[in-house]
Amino acid sequence: MLTPLQTIRKKRAAAVSRIIAKGYLATRRVYVGMATCEIAAGSREVMDVFRHAIDDGLTDVYLSQKGCAGRCNLEPTVEVIEEGNIPVKYGRVSPQRAREIVERHLKKGEVITEWMI
Amino acid sequence: MAEPKYKLTLCDGTACVHNHSKELRLAIEEQLEKHGLTDAVTILLSGCLGMCSKGPILVVNPGYIIYGNVQVADVTEIVESHLVGNKAVTRLIIQQDSLYNRFFRIFGDARFFGRQMRICLRNCGIIDPENIDDYLALRGYEALAMALEKMTPQQVIDEVKKSGLRGRGGAGFSTGLKWELTAREPGDEKYVICNADEGDPGAFMDRSAIEGDPHTVLEGMIIAGYAVGASKGIIYIRAEYPLAIKRLDKAIDAAHEHGLLGPNILGSDFSFDLEIRLGAGAFVCGEETALIHSIEGSRGMPRPRPPYPSVSGLFGKPTLINNVETWANIPVILLDGADWFSTIGTETSKGTKVFALAGKVHNTGLVEVPMGMTLREIIYDIGGGIPNGREFKAVQTGGPSGGCLPKQYLDTQIDYDSLAKAGSIMGSGGMIVIDEDSCMVALARFFIEFTQDESCGKCTPCREGTKRMYDILTRITEGKGQPGDIEKLERLGEMIKRASLCGLGQSAPNPVLSTIANFREEYEEHISSKKCRAGQCTALLSFTVNEKCVGCGACKRVCPVAAVEGARKEKHRILQERCIRCGQCFTVCKFDAITRA
Repeated sequence: MLTPLQTIRKKRAAAVSRIIAKGYLATRRVYVGMATCEIAAGSREVMDVFRHAIDDGLTDVYLSQKGCAGRCNLEPTVEVIEEGNIPVKYGRVSPQRAREIVERHLKKGEVITEWMI
Repeated sequence: MAEPKYKLTLCDGTACVHNHSKELRLAIEEQLEKHGLTDAVTILLSGCLGMCSKGPILVVNPGYIIYGNVQVADVTEIVESHLVGNKAVTRLIIQQDSLYNRFFRIFGDARFFGRQMRICLRNCGIIDPENIDDYLALRGYEALAMALEKMTPQQVIDEVKKSGLRGRGGAGFSTGLKWELTAREPGDEKYVICNADEGDPGAFMDRSAIEGDPHTVLEGMIIAGYAVGASKGIIYIRAEYPLAIKRLDKAIDAAHEHGLLGPNILGSDFSFDLEIRLGAGAFVCGEETALIHSIEGSRGMPRPRPPYPSVSGLFGKPTLINNVETWANIPVILLDGADWFSTIGTETSKGTKVFALAGKVHNTGLVEVPMGMTLREIIYDIGGGIPNGREFKAVQTGGPSGGCLPKQYLDTQIDYDSLAKAGSIMGSGGMIVIDEDSCMVALARFFIEFTQDESCGKCTPCREGTKRMYDILTRITEGKGQPGDIEKLERLGEMIKRASLCGLGQSAPNPVLSTIANFREEYEEHISSKKCRAGQCTALLSFTVNEKCVGCGACKRVCPVAAVEGARKEKHRILQERCIRCGQCFTVCKFDAITRA
């Protein structure tokens, strides 16, 4: 019989491996803000852009949603985290900008500085 | 300028400054210059990072390496080994597996986040709120497991008490004491309630916290259930937060699947279950006794206290009610320790507070700051100041129950007691910045309109009193104010505060009384000279054409009631009896030829 702490540690290990199985260790992780405020600002469409890009063959990207980080005036926000690099946070991401982020940042590795927060 | 190779964050909290962080900064700058790294390394100052006992603190990014107890003598080694040689100085690293601020690395880029401290919102904007794995991976539910395995209910209560946590819903009652009072009551049927009935205009802290990290609220509630001996919890949330409700639903289902809710949680003999109750969005239901009535199926009306809910609450049973933000603090207090938690904040107010920063400020948004930070730091450093070159006029805290603080209070520290002393309240965390274009009388009228609309009508002072205050304020803004109106408002306000049944009425006059106290001259101008200096009360304005008019006819074309007359290229005239004071001529004129007074 496991104690509560042992149980929770086991659960955590299982959770971590499930997250990894979903592709967390991909070189780039993309997070799209999806709270009520961000959705109202249009983040659902932005999410769709990234999802379609992955469906269309973009690889080595882990896509996930996140809650509101508090930058209300800059929403929707998109975060691109690459291991070893400073995380890049884009603000006011429209579907148009999202497509460019896919093309320029995710495919060609170019950080689009003018949209960064 | 090229992207700097390293970013150093130096803690600029009081304790660290006391420990000579200023000298440290000079020493670092000197070393950087010596190695020609001035351009490759940026130094940021941050608000208190909450590691005061180990100060001065230096954080090196990327990598999020935290150095503690850094002395001037250590600087050379850090610069040469870490910044030049890419090798961290292990001797000084104090990395800890703590919950708070662990994502400083991700947040830390913007100035906006640099001065914040995230405890309650630690996972918001980081994890996928709809996936319990994300929460579990970040030591989720470990606090619960620890409480179940290693602590007695009394020890949990003692820990919460020791942390100094006070209720984040507004009144600031000691959370530990509340838990103890509920635990002390006999009986095995008790309830734990999460008050997520967030109603202040412009406030969205609870919504964001739930939408960003629902499991932390659940975990806090389950721990409390264990501590006070309750087996049933209820989350009372308003129906107009559909996404938050959906995520809570998902979180509760996932917690059931993992055996974190239901019978014999994590194999222990403690059982607890949670359900969601939807409110219809009445402001008064944020008051705990009204909230309980609403859950019971009655009309949401408050009742006199005592008895307090801890003695006789939901269905007459002992009930523990806390606010969303309070619950979200609990797992951190247990895992990172009450001793650590109580180092943050001020003497009487511990920890952090989330504010919804709104109004006339550059960076509107959700901020979480340590108690004791000043209003100025929040508005100017985090908020980025007032846009469009306007002047700061006042800041409103506490929503419809709070007050307006003018310029001279900008250096007031944020904690329950300092804000109360300054004439406002902490409230649940709304913070509205007001610039010179806003009329304080109109603002007071707005809030009293809200409270009189939301007054449940049970007690006369609140029902009738707020209505009369609203009438008086309306006539003042319409230019029909009479001498003695201010005194009437003050008398009414004091009466309502003293005689009302619940917190809604007792605090409803606050916006009026505090604007009268701080901006009395604006009220007087409205009444005696029928002027509104902010130009917001349109009934008090008059528009006239001045000498700068070139007769272009723009105002004439835009006027919806044809109140402008005059031949082309000649000075125009506004017919005052026809003018509806819509101000369109004023906006459209390119020659500054319309005088608004």
